[in-house]
Amino acid sequence: MKGMRFAFLCKEKPEKNGKKIAIIGAGPAGLSAAGYLVCHGYDVHIYDKLPEPGGLMLFGIPEFRIPIYRVRKGYEELKNIFEVTFYPKTKVISSKKEEEGDEFVENFVEFEELVKEYDAVLIATGTWESTIPKIEGVELDGVYPALDYLFKIKSAKLGHVSWEEVPKIDGKSVVVVGAGHTAVDAAMESLLLGAERVYLVYRRTINEAPAGAYEINLLKQRGVRWLELATPVRIIGEYGKVKAIELQKCKLGEPDESGRRRPIPIEGSNFQIDVDMVVFAVGQKATPPFNEDIGIAVDKKGRIVVDSRHMTSREGVFAAGDVVIGPSKVGRAVLDGLVAAESMHMWLSGR
Amino acid sequence: MRRLLHVDYSLCIGCETCQGVCEFIHHGKPNIRIYYTMSGLPIPINCRHCEKAPCMEVCPSNAIYKDSDGAVIIDPKKCIGCLMCLAVCPFGAPSFDVRVKVVTKCDMCADRRRVGMEPACSEMCPAEAIFFGKPEEIEDEIRMRTAEKIARERISSKSLEGVGRLL
Repeated sequence: MKGMRFAFLCKEKPEKNGKKIAIIGAGPAGLSAAGYLVCHGYDVHIYDKLPEPGGLMLFGIPEFRIPIYRVRKGYEELKNIFEVTFYPKTKVISSKKEEEGDEFVENFVEFEELVKEYDAVLIATGTWESTIPKIEGVELDGVYPALDYLFKIKSAKLGHVSWEEVPKIDGKSVVVVGAGHTAVDAAMESLLLGAERVYLVYRRTINEAPAGAYEINLLKQRGVRWLELATPVRIIGEYGKVKAIELQKCKLGEPDESGRRRPIPIEGSNFQIDVDMVVFAVGQKATPPFNEDIGIAVDKKGRIVVDSRHMTSREGVFAAGDVVIGPSKVGRAVLDGLVAAESMHMWLSGR
Repeated sequence: MRRLLHVDYSLCIGCETCQGVCEFIHHGKPNIRIYYTMSGLPIPINCRHCEKAPCMEVCPSNAIYKDSDGAVIIDPKKCIGCLMCLAVCPFGAPSFDVRVKVVTKCDMCADRRRVGMEPACSEMCPAEAIFFGKPEEIEDEIRMRTAEKIARERISSKSLEGVGRLL
């Protein structure tokens, strides 16, 4: 029962080199970058909005995939052995803006202050804004972005909130929209928490599902009702609560720019299913620690643009992980964090 | 002292962290890689450091040897790049490196072991699906994880009676 060794590049903490680095975001990219940097003598301070480090590894991905102890022991080693300073419940922002996982924030830190205080800054804030389709009824009680849904469940499991604050899933009918890893995890957690019925709705077929046919088939074996070639058109409420969802059947047309065949809704094919909860797992957007022009370029999807050194359009400010590449995988974020940290080390040592 | 580097495929979540850290320490060429099967299942493929290593037996230039931990290692100075090792490897692990023009593969992080560290993939795997250590240590750890899985399944069995081994 050992933890992840984020500082896997060294056996022991080396002599400090006197330079100080701020990392914003304690997910896989931020923690791996911290591991690299402490192994090269830097003093590392990590700011994160959540009550403990780990990012989506702790607050999104279910425990049956990543054991909680693996992440906890990992950041504890960074803290206790490698003397990384963590500032939890602290949001770095140039102006206030809401997104998923903000419940725990107690302190706000100005982004510009970090740029002034530290020798270099790494932004690794991930993708914490869920996409919700603009359809009738999304404001109803019982509609959740999947990330928020998983976040609430994991926050209770981790002991940061009581189970009272988690949506009551036991005995309910839940429909999850999407077929990526987040959708699969939301469906699985619903089953584990005793949902009476779980539907997984996807506008393409199992062959196009981003989570892969294996994961979908596993859910089907466990009793999840798989509804492919269907897309939500509206959510029907009663007394402000979700009562049913109206879906429309689709057929596959020509391949789109992603290479997958485009779903085309079929006129007059609408049907309804009675549900108590609707969970949208249809994508997340990058959440950089600013929402105005502070001289850091972002692309049209809101992701931070970096050069080959992982430096943003501001000198000394670097970025890594999902906030740069979009929603990806733990391993992609880890590698990106390591490469960015190496590049920061090169830049700071004048190479 | 014999040590094993063991990947437990049932615990792997396909997050690609092993590949990422391996790629980082080997400058862009990972020795463990995730492959996605037709059914969409991610499977990590790497050298299993076989006890009876077919690559070692077939190598015509005797370039493959075992170190004291049991790691199967290719000596780049002796390798002639004939790829016979790849031909007989049950896992397709050996890889021709176009930069140095010899076959390379996982050496169980020989440089790291020399200074008392463990292979990077096993140190960083978030799912703890990659085990490194003495055979009896690893086997205990795996059984402990299985026990935890069974315990979790028993606890949540109300909604999951008689299901598979994922949890």
